[in-house]
Amino acid sequence: MTENPFPLSKDDLLRAYRTMRTIREFEERLHVDFAKGDIPGFVHLYAGEEACATGIMMHLNDNDRIASTHRGHGHCIAKGVDVHAMMAEIYGRSTGACRGKGGSMHIADLSKGMMGANGILGAGAPLICGAALAAKVRGDRGVGITFVGDGASNQGTFLESLNLAAVWNLPVVFVVENNGYAESTAMEWAVSCDSYVDRATGFGMPGVTVDGTDFFAVHEAAGEIIRRAREGGGPALLECNMVRFYGHFEGDAQTYRAKGEVEALRASRDCLVMLGERVIEAGVIARAELQAIDGEVAALIEDAVRAAKAAPLPAAGDLLTDVYVAY
Amino acid sequence: MTPVVGIVANPVSARDIRRVVANAANLQVTDRANILLRVLAALRACGVAEVLMMPEKGGIRGHVERGVARARAHGEDPYPAIHPVAMPVTGTVEDTHRATRAMRQAGVSAIVVLGGDGTHRAVAAQCGAVPIAGISTGTNNAFPDHREPTITGLATGLAVTGRVPPHIAFAGNKRIDVAINGETPSEIALVDVALVAERYIGARALWRTENFRELYVTFADPEVIGMSAIAGLLEPVTRGESGGLMVRLSPAGQTSPPSGPRPGGTILRAPIAPGMMAAVGVTDWRRMPAGVPFVPEVEAGTIALDGERELSFTARDRLSLTLRDDAFRTVNVSGCMRHAAENRLLTGTPVPVSADL
Repeated sequence: MTENPFPLSKDDLLRAYRTMRTIREFEERLHVDFAKGDIPGFVHLYAGEEACATGIMMHLNDNDRIASTHRGHGHCIAKGVDVHAMMAEIYGRSTGACRGKGGSMHIADLSKGMMGANGILGAGAPLICGAALAAKVRGDRGVGITFVGDGASNQGTFLESLNLAAVWNLPVVFVVENNGYAESTAMEWAVSCDSYVDRATGFGMPGVTVDGTDFFAVHEAAGEIIRRAREGGGPALLECNMVRFYGHFEGDAQTYRAKGEVEALRASRDCLVMLGERVIEAGVIARAELQAIDGEVAALIEDAVRAAKAAPLPAAGDLLTDVYVAY
Repeated sequence: MTPVVGIVANPVSARDIRRVVANAANLQVTDRANILLRVLAALRACGVAEVLMMPEKGGIRGHVERGVARARAHGEDPYPAIHPVAMPVTGTVEDTHRATRAMRQAGVSAIVVLGGDGTHRAVAAQCGAVPIAGISTGTNNAFPDHREPTITGLATGLAVTGRVPPHIAFAGNKRIDVAINGETPSEIALVDVALVAERYIGARALWRTENFRELYVTFADPEVIGMSAIAGLLEPVTRGESGGLMVRLSPAGQTSPPSGPRPGGTILRAPIAPGMMAAVGVTDWRRMPAGVPFVPEVEAGTIALDGERELSFTARDRLSLTLRDDAFRTVNVSGCMRHAAENRLLTGTPVPVSADL
């Protein structure tokens, strides 16, 4: 092996690849199992977008909070939520992260700083302002990250949160995951100022755009922005331009996408393939090492599905437990 | 035949990490559209009736069309007719390449470019003999002059309508050809080629000076920021003279290479990004004559073109850099406006006479 030319150690590169592969395997398996009718509720898959969650979350610790979206599996895995608990949750089992009552769009694990996926578009932004205010008051150097899609970025909650974070100088990073489609509406039809960086500028904070399919671009930019927030520099916006390999939801016929679009994206902009090829080409990691991770991740997902299917559903008597928080 | 002018306006320049690691500005899409309307009005005032414009999905065109419609609603028609180039929009640099080729084939007399050094490089790579009129809407722009776009539009209009003679209206520019493994050229740079130690593209911008190793510039201007400033603060080289400058760099404080001490190394403090004064270790520098291939000492790293990391190379790759004089043309805005003033090109008839005479 030659000298490592990357800004991450070999162990961290392997960790990044393992996280991205885990997200991909998790989502590809859900795609298959949902089609078979095994899974209750809706699922929105993160496949193709793994570099964004992973590149950002590698700069965070359990004390940092994230507020996710309806497309939250990748955020959960990258933030360290247990894959078995996630799978069980999506299968609606009592062993799930939320005891089977939340499903795909409400997975949460506060012990990992994961405040929850969220079925309400744009709802994570005000939540993360609260978490960031708490971190600021405590003075514990914690930061909050919220994710929003290009569509939900037009929600009033999101825009109000940009204002609040700027006014209070909160340690928040607003990540716009721009996969080009708000469900089925292309971005250029629906975003008034045409640029998320312009939007950030209008609220008095810096905005940065990166290629969200390039793990190293996301990792480098996110590192600088998160450090700035942690040091008291205030909020910022990071736009990650990325690609979605599946529909808005499972079952989406995607008639709004050009024929062959997804196939072309899989061939040219697969962030997982790009990361793997780069570290192999640089001589830092051997292909066999990545293949070994692929095998371990496949076994992990298989075991998570097996365990989820074997786990009991919530009992009727548990209907009102863990639903409300007592103060 | 009345001249047609091409317009390439990049909607996404000035969006990178320098808004966080430095205090770089963001030029909003509406500001870019306003700049374009100013240029269009100036072109029309000089008699340019048609422009050919690169299509994009970043929002500029929509705001420009709104401005044109508003003027027409007032009964005014101060702008040329805008024809979009018929081409697919990918949102990548390929759009600029494709649009520039189409404009050249359509016989445009000049191309007005709104963007950073990178956008201008993309146009210069494809424009052939068509002159460029550059307007800075990027971050560390060294290539396009910083001036009011209305004046750039006026100068371009005067140049392409023949009211300023070509030998005054247009100027030759240098570029550096980067050949990788014998492909000539694999890449070009209009201002600078920097070889840096990191071997990943990442967020593209250059700001970690400890990784700077070698720098090649077409001109070295102490009045700009970015990589050209490093060379410019050592030995200025103008845009108009032949050749450029090559500078060997090292991590600040380590001004001697591992192979042995090299006397004369120093630390330079240079503005490498907006508001960012950085210590740069300088080993030595020398003139880079035109037409002479330079082979870098750096064995592996990343090639940054005009201030942005573009491609990585390894010890297996063979690099060669050659500066070319008079490689492409630009509109000489200063020359055009001075000629226009001296010859009263924008006055009515009769031409007024100075009260001093």
